[in-house]
Amino acid sequence: MRHAFDIYRRLVGVQIRSQMQYRASFLLDLVATALTVVVEFGSVALVIQRFGDLQGWQLPEIAFLYGLVEIAFNFMDMLFSGFDPPRFGLTVRQGTFDQLLLRPINITAQVMGSRLVLRRLGRVAFGIAIFAYALSLNDITWTVAKLLYLPVVIASLIAFFGGLFVIGGTITFWTVDSIEVLNMLTYGGSFTMSYPMTIYPNWLRRFFTYIVPAVFLNFYPALYFLDKPDPFDFPAFAPFVAPLVGFAMLWLSLKVWRFGIQHYQSTGS
Amino acid sequence: MRLFWEIARRNFRRHLTYRAATIAGLITNFGFGWLRVSVLLALYDDRSVVAGITETDLYGYVALTQAVITYLAMFGWYELMESVHTGEIGADLLKPMSYFQFWLAKDAGRAAVALLLRGVVIMIFFSLVFPLSYPTNLAQWLWLATAVFLSWLVSFTFRFLLNLAAFWSPNARGIIGTGFIFGWFLSGFLMPLRLFPQWVQNIAYLTPFPYTLNLVVEVYLGLLQGPALYQALLTQLVWTVGLAILGQFVLKTAVRRLVILGG
Repeated sequence: MRHAFDIYRRLVGVQIRSQMQYRASFLLDLVATALTVVVEFGSVALVIQRFGDLQGWQLPEIAFLYGLVEIAFNFMDMLFSGFDPPRFGLTVRQGTFDQLLLRPINITAQVMGSRLVLRRLGRVAFGIAIFAYALSLNDITWTVAKLLYLPVVIASLIAFFGGLFVIGGTITFWTVDSIEVLNMLTYGGSFTMSYPMTIYPNWLRRFFTYIVPAVFLNFYPALYFLDKPDPFDFPAFAPFVAPLVGFAMLWLSLKVWRFGIQHYQSTGS
Repeated sequence: MRLFWEIARRNFRRHLTYRAATIAGLITNFGFGWLRVSVLLALYDDRSVVAGITETDLYGYVALTQAVITYLAMFGWYELMESVHTGEIGADLLKPMSYFQFWLAKDAGRAAVALLLRGVVIMIFFSLVFPLSYPTNLAQWLWLATAVFLSWLVSFTFRFLLNLAAFWSPNARGIIGTGFIFGWFLSGFLMPLRLFPQWVQNIAYLTPFPYTLNLVVEVYLGLLQGPALYQALLTQLVWTVGLAILGQFVLKTAVRRLVILGG
């Protein structure tokens, strides 16, 4: 385990050094990536301003949900870039994955360390800006419990999204082609979580409550931080199951990943 | 003209072969459409019309945004850039037709497949599930077809121009990508332009972007009638010609500084 971590650290070190090699190009990429967030959230914000609110949620409250997801998803996207389904699917198809398997080194550490897209930090930075805007305009009554719970929620979200990426990546062992559908799980999931769950049709909400329990990761914590009433009458502990759900997802995904590797058959070409 | 037709046909067939990707793309487009409709409907809440757009129009708007993603290459188009970076451009410049026409032909084939396999199919898909409204008379259908065709030309001339950045920088991807991101915002892809504050709309209409997706949406929903409609379609044509001329001009400068390494 220690050995694996050491390997991971070295691989990531190489990634960071190589990406920082072309400073100007890196900065340009960073700005371009950050611009995506500005434009996406900007357009939502402009329209919500016009309408006043989104089914009773004010813009700063939406920003709380949106910023939280933006921070966690993009931080995860950076850490778990190696598992990013389209990319990982490519390494499987091209046989580069076989090369990794041949090395007597922990495979998970190798895949994790194979790619770390630093420019995602541009998006994380703007996620933080949106979240800071939310914190400054929402009248949050801070308690010690809330202060301690906030980092836990962010970590749980990262674990949850990371789990989705690992599962998505593993599926590419079997489906070489239809990878775009997996975007529904990852990007679709994060899009859904950027808005209050009350706005979706019932079937979709049930899906995100009972099958992929995303609702507990930021919607319920947001209700707790913003002192909003629960529209679905769940038990009072609902805002606090986020770490359980998030890390269970990551744990489950690693099980699926192990299973996938054990049943992996190379294309052999 | 024969050569143009031949290149377009070949690209049409080449793109037609990616069937699995098409089906996967459909499911994704459809899923995202559902999410985006939910957000817009929640915004409307109990209002029925905002800025001329009715609640039912929202379904049509979202369906159209999903339908044209591949047709107008909304998420990015880097083919020309790649051909410059790999040196393929050397052979392309020797072809017995202008470089602009060559790419126009290639893109025509690509866009035709995207329009038929993705665009039309997505619209049918959406109409089965959501209460879509349709253009009500033949004239409106014809205007729609015109707007759809011209929107491709505006989009192509813009993409051609943007991709020429590859001649100046080996990192053109970032520059080109930035152009597309502005496109999402200003073409009404993220939100219908009419729902933005007036000053944002004013800025948007100084650029060619509203003459791609947003105009198609407005013609489809019947928001533009009479003189306003003719003026909008004419402006599409003006942008096409303007961007094409600018593209030719930039291309001339670009080719002069082009050095292709043999090997």
